[in-house]
Amino acid sequence: MESGKFVIAAQEAEAMAKTAGVAALKELLPLLVPTALRLARPPISNYPVGAVGLGMSGRIFLGVNLEFPGLPLNHSVHAEQFVVANAAAHGEAGISCIAVSSFPCGHCRQFLQEIRGAGEIQIVVTSDEDAAFRPLSSLLPHRFGPFDLLHKGIPLLLEPHDNDLGSVESAVIAGGGEEVYEGIEKEGIQQRLRAAAGAAAKASHAPYSGCAAGFAVADGEGRVYAGSYMESAAYNPSLGPVQAAMVGYVAACGGVGGEHRGWGIFAAALVEKEAAAVSHEGTARIFLEAVAPGANLNVYRFRSSATV
Amino acid sequence: MEEKPARLTGARFLIQAEEAEAMAKEAGVAAVTELLPLLVPAAQRLARPPISNYRVGAVGLGTSGRIFLGANLEFPGLPLNHSVHAEQFLVANAAAHGETGIRCFAVSTVPCGHCRQFLQEIRGSAEIQILVTSDEEPAFRPLASLLPLPFGPPDLLHKGVPLLLEPHDNALGATVVPGGGGGRGLFDAIGEGRMEQRLRAAAEAAARASHAPYSGCAAGFAVADVDERVYAGSYLESAAYNPSLGPMQAAMVAWVAAGGGGGGEDGGWGIVAATLVEEEAAVVSHVGTARIFLEAMAPGAHLEAYRLRSSKAD
Repeated sequence: MESGKFVIAAQEAEAMAKTAGVAALKELLPLLVPTALRLARPPISNYPVGAVGLGMSGRIFLGVNLEFPGLPLNHSVHAEQFVVANAAAHGEAGISCIAVSSFPCGHCRQFLQEIRGAGEIQIVVTSDEDAAFRPLSSLLPHRFGPFDLLHKGIPLLLEPHDNDLGSVESAVIAGGGEEVYEGIEKEGIQQRLRAAAGAAAKASHAPYSGCAAGFAVADGEGRVYAGSYMESAAYNPSLGPVQAAMVGYVAACGGVGGEHRGWGIFAAALVEKEAAAVSHEGTARIFLEAVAPGANLNVYRFRSSATV
Repeated sequence: MEEKPARLTGARFLIQAEEAEAMAKEAGVAAVTELLPLLVPAAQRLARPPISNYRVGAVGLGTSGRIFLGANLEFPGLPLNHSVHAEQFLVANAAAHGETGIRCFAVSTVPCGHCRQFLQEIRGSAEIQILVTSDEEPAFRPLASLLPLPFGPPDLLHKGVPLLLEPHDNALGATVVPGGGGGRGLFDAIGEGRMEQRLRAAAEAAARASHAPYSGCAAGFAVADVDERVYAGSYLESAAYNPSLGPMQAAMVAWVAAGGGGGGEDGGWGIVAATLVEEEAAVVSHVGTARIFLEAMAPGAHLEAYRLRSSKAD
């Protein structure tokens, strides 16, 4: 089972920098890109991408690209998005620099705009001849971003969110896989999945649609991993809650199975807004059909008056 | 500069070269390129963005001299990556009309990174001139200035592979592995068999024209309205994967560009039947997504999916 380290604590990062003989943490990032590359899971392209980001806390976050055969390509997760979702899941408040193995594509340069001060995020591309840090603003000049649509004062990505989920009505969708958990109480799993997805929805960044959402998956041992929906001002680059949960899953344990059948997911839960203008229910269903056939999916819809 | 927005009667998404010249004269501009920004308000009015209510219009000039309009489309009840951006609409519209290149376009809002990336699929994309009408001082600038050091087709493809807007003729298998949807009853009313054949033929032609050099998974989608008009669109892939335009989205571009109704405040598109053609066991498959797309957009519409088994060696 592949298990890599996707989060490096600040102290350890400092120690690694010393050992590597670099003056600043920033310079450690490109040295970790090969490690990240080895953890990538791109079975469609076989084009691995690794990214390493430095948080304001001094922690380092790794990111890799993920691809899911049998689904449209917009289910893919880019390494840069993985870094951000990984950081967000760990309560990181900001990202100052990112080292990545390939030039960030326009989709990622756009997604990164959701972070406050995005223009100043320093990016270095290890495959670049002139491998030097450059600000994101130089890679996406004259940008379209959050402030084209939002009022100042609205929390941006990586800033604390506490969406009001109101009352959660439950709508259970039976999807099989009910007998999977032997020796582990099935009820317990469903509750934990629901709680994790709910917490992820509360933390979700969805200021454009107002449709907060969270998704959680459980592996064969009953461990639960969750992810928050992260919206982009440009809509399409948004990271779905299902993808965010997969980031959580891979970051925590390498994700058993990878491209092999099943991904080791046996149950899942989606929490989203009732009659949402942006709904992930259908997509979550087809994702599981392709990636973890037989996995049970419960969908919980909340009715709220305000989402921030 | 006192220039009046140029007038377009009706919902027009394509202006032939001669008419474009005539309109430019009428508007008092020296070149057709200067006509483009004047048409942007007309394009914006054609947008159907019920989620954001943020209208984006794009107007492009093809190498043929024809003008293509684009407008953004949004589909409530689905994830946001089902949305179509005005620039993508413009390109898909041009592709559907056999346009071989886009020299320049005017757009109401600065293109987002997703679109700057999608545009990389066009040969010579760096030199596409873009004017943003909402800029303080609107002026044409090359795409290269908006996406420096791009990631794009050359990073993944061999030279000689056709790029977007270049002729594609994907080899599709002949053997059909059927797998359909529901709502059979609708076909009885419309002319079962004949409608299905037309939808399938349209989706197949669209799949043959599809740009999918990264996955090798050509795909096409066709939709029909109650008057039996059929519109189809080709899957258009992006080197960066996520900005790819799905075949359903491409079909909706064709639908809207032809004046098809729906997608307004009241929701509801008049689609009664649809057909997807893709390859069997495709690593990039749209079957599930087509299902949920129709469920949200046209519940009750019949969906037929054909998976073609090819014997081609790659």
